[in-house]
Amino acid sequence: MRLSLLALPLALAATAALAHGPTPQKVSQSITVKASPDAVWTVAGDFAGIGKWHPAIAKAEGSAGGKDGGTRTLTLKSGGTLTESLDEWKPEARSYSYRMSGEPDLKALPVSSYSATLTVSPEGDGAKVEWMGRFYRGDTGNEPPDTLSDEAGREAMNRFFSEGLKGLKAAAEGKATP
Amino acid sequence: MIRSGPVLVALLLAPLPALADPPALAGTVWVASQQGARLSRIETGAAAVVGDTAVPAAPATVAAGGGRLFLSHPDGRAITVAEATTGRVLRSLPYAGQVFGLAASADGRTVFATNWSGHRVDRISAEDGRVEGSAPTGRDPAHLVLDRAGRLFVADRESAQVSVIDAARMARIATIPVGTAPFALALDPGEGRLYVGNVRSNDLTVIDTARLAAVATVPAGAMPYGIAVSPDGARVLVTNQGAGTVTVLDATTLAIAATVGVGRYPEGIVVAGEGAAARAYVANWFSDDVTVIDLARLAAVARLPVAEGPRSLVLGEGGR
Repeated sequence: MRLSLLALPLALAATAALAHGPTPQKVSQSITVKASPDAVWTVAGDFAGIGKWHPAIAKAEGSAGGKDGGTRTLTLKSGGTLTESLDEWKPEARSYSYRMSGEPDLKALPVSSYSATLTVSPEGDGAKVEWMGRFYRGDTGNEPPDTLSDEAGREAMNRFFSEGLKGLKAAAEGKATP
Repeated sequence: MIRSGPVLVALLLAPLPALADPPALAGTVWVASQQGARLSRIETGAAAVVGDTAVPAAPATVAAGGGRLFLSHPDGRAITVAEATTGRVLRSLPYAGQVFGLAASADGRTVFATNWSGHRVDRISAEDGRVEGSAPTGRDPAHLVLDRAGRLFVADRESAQVSVIDAARMARIATIPVGTAPFALALDPGEGRLYVGNVRSNDLTVIDTARLAAVATVPAGAMPYGIAVSPDGARVLVTNQGAGTVTVLDATTLAIAATVGVGRYPEGIVVAGEGAAARAYVANWFSDDVTVIDLARLAAVARLPVAEGPRSLVLGEGGR
């Protein structure tokens, strides 16, 4: 995975800023899927099932399933682990919101914290999936190294969402097409 | 005499005795957009954005006092001073640190700033940026408010506490444990209560400002990031970043009276007007707009587009 290119210099950065920094950044990606919104939600709405469709994730383990307070622990193929917890799971809106709930792991993503929302909505004959969020760079101090800057965070987060949505599209279209 | 604060909406509208100056700027809400680096002006009567001004890069928070506006630039190591009548930038005060929260004195001559990574609060001359005094806080101090008695209340985000500081001596006089990751806070009009929003524990801590102790902790919503109190003190409004909603609590029972859908990633909130005219203004950071909520109907009545990344708002009559 291309993520491994990022992981190498990050592994050398010994000190991650553990706290939320004061300057948030946006991440936003979307994709259209040739499947019904309900079919896409069946795949995407399983909070702990992200490992079935996200190509950068080696393993995903969950607890409490798709309920508020549910968590998932992701092990990335590039190394690194992320723990995320649900803030809201709204099947009627085909949407869930979550945040990073464990300590940051710069090997996984060069960010110190994030929250995000994934939403499936109707689009033409098919569906549209939006994945958007807010994050803070890996080093929240005033002079971050290039690998932990706002730009590095934007690139990594957008790529993580974009590759994930491509994987979700493939999984959902495969499922929906006999 | 010192009073006022950045998120201290209710105080600004509370009836105060013996003020020399009339509220020349009543009806103006200023919105600071971080990515867009602009200060937008909303006229509350028209419920419309009537102008905006370019400011230095990445303003995070805005405060008002004495006819001046103050903007913090955490990455730019500076505080911008602007005119509250026009938004015109007057000067930039260099700041040696990562400035985040701001509170201004009523006369606009002094501004108090939290230093996020420096774990302290500074008292700064608004004329020349000179640091007149400092006090230690907990880790990662976020927003702060100033009461009429000259006390600063600082949300120490990573220490799960509020530091109380005597602004005249710049000495800490108390620390009050609250929920996890306190960020925003607001005093009620009588200043007997301080409401603190805890981002990670998704709740609100209510502090008795006479006893300097927490008296209640109640659920808010997902990721509370901004708080305002209605001018009559009856309602507490909390923005929930993780849910895209504003929770409205009854101040007497502390129960949730309503949940109003707003834009994505709402952050700052202020209330302007009283009685039937009371409206809350909510900065939707991701949606790049401001939601207007009618407090009588508890419903969103308008969405006003502004420059990218609005986080913080303040009433133009901030010195009152």
